[in-house]
Amino acid sequence: MRDVAIVAYGETKIVLRSGRSAYDLAGEVMDQILGRTGIDKTEIDGVCVTEALSQTENSFWPQYVCEMLGLSPTWLEVVALGGASPIGGVARAVAAIRTGLCRTALVIAADAQPSGRPPEQGAQRFEFLYPTGLHGPVGAFGLIMQRYQHLYGLKDAALAKLAVTQRNHGLLNPNACDKLRVPLTEQDYLQSKRVSTPLRLLDSVLVCEGANGVLLTSDDNARRLGFEMKVFLTSYAEQTHYNLTEPLAEITESGFLSAGPRAFRQAGLTPKDIASFHPYDDFFMAVLLQFEHLGFCERGRGCDFILETDLSYRGKLPLNTGGGQISAGQPRLAGGGVNLVEAVRQLFGEGGERQVADRRNALVTGIGGIPYARNWATSAVLILEQ
Amino acid sequence: MSKEPARTAPRPSPRPNAYMHTQPFWDAAEQGHLVIQYCCATGRFQHFPRPVSLYTGRRALEWREVSGRGTLYSWTLTLSPWPGHEGRVPYICALVDLDEGVRLLANLYHCEPKTLRIGMPVQLVWERLDDRFNYPAFEPVVEP
Repeated sequence: MRDVAIVAYGETKIVLRSGRSAYDLAGEVMDQILGRTGIDKTEIDGVCVTEALSQTENSFWPQYVCEMLGLSPTWLEVVALGGASPIGGVARAVAAIRTGLCRTALVIAADAQPSGRPPEQGAQRFEFLYPTGLHGPVGAFGLIMQRYQHLYGLKDAALAKLAVTQRNHGLLNPNACDKLRVPLTEQDYLQSKRVSTPLRLLDSVLVCEGANGVLLTSDDNARRLGFEMKVFLTSYAEQTHYNLTEPLAEITESGFLSAGPRAFRQAGLTPKDIASFHPYDDFFMAVLLQFEHLGFCERGRGCDFILETDLSYRGKLPLNTGGGQISAGQPRLAGGGVNLVEAVRQLFGEGGERQVADRRNALVTGIGGIPYARNWATSAVLILEQ
Repeated sequence: MSKEPARTAPRPSPRPNAYMHTQPFWDAAEQGHLVIQYCCATGRFQHFPRPVSLYTGRRALEWREVSGRGTLYSWTLTLSPWPGHEGRVPYICALVDLDEGVRLLANLYHCEPKTLRIGMPVQLVWERLDDRFNYPAFEPVVEP
């Protein structure tokens, strides 16, 4: 449906240590959006906040955000889908606008260093995970990569190509973390140390701080407010705990096998129609699996597809044109908004030096959560169209 | 002058009964028995312990001892440790599919990474974590 659109975006620079709070970073994003659109902040009557690692101790985080930013919404939501939260938030805001709970929604994500105790994700982990020493998501992806290597073979050259492609994009992104804005060669990737075999250090993100957000409103209201830049939200699908009742589920299979076809069907598109691809990239292995699970290539053919396809911003299928999280930095749980904002920026034609030629549409994904002995928890797919 | 060992957190010990009543698991472990939650309605196992059956959503669950035999599903050699495991590097974390149709995350001992192959038979060994806990781990079954 072409009834709700993103009409603005904002993003702070991604930094290693800001010395600032998530509130302050969120305020910078809202200021950018108000400055760009020229609207009064009283037009914002809906707010969706991504849960922040720095605020897991704060049960009232979304209300605090609104109190800090001077917003009095008629619809307020917090989304806790890990890295899928920002695009999950966009989908929920679309639903809220369609059902009249609000008219104009700010979907915002901000994260920084925790001010209190470190985040707690305990439950069963204290008994059945932490004593084994599996290294969090790095360990979980080590297990997924080893399994994939066994089933299909893993080509180092394909992973190295992803690393170099995204780094080259990040070099052109002024908002990328400065520490990552240095050239990278395939050799650099291949020589980076293994942290949880076969996973290398440069397979994963650097945890940073920052904030990002988008402003949504109905197409009717966008006309009233005089917005000419519009990106329509034509399709969204989400899957949490794919195959949960199968205790021996294949860990190289993800919820994208379920969410992908639903999203494409709703948009009336196929993978061949996608003009640029902005997959959630906590690890390059996740990008490889998404090429397969979303149907860009057959299962087990992801490495060949990567090697055969020009994934640069000038190529056949531009990939994470801002560098992705791996080469722009992951602002903790606001990381899911990095590739979303980049996709909107590209469709607005504001990609600068890295602008893609084909601005018809973009596919953005989100991944969140690491369950026990499985693939990831949530897979989410968002299709944006002009 | 002897070199002072790096000061690190101790290896995390399980916290029984914090999210579920898991005491039967640890009591059995103390006796050298591996028990896993079993759904009485479907005859299927599930791990980690839950308040309801994964398969039916109902609470008809019991603990049943399993054979401790299974196959290696996947593994990773950990070179960058999780906090508290610094002194163990390098160590292997593995997913083991038990013959009873349920998967466990556990350490794998008594083997070299280069000898591992996915699908190889493995068997239960108990690791003494501290004076309170036997913790399940696995080792390759040595061919006679």
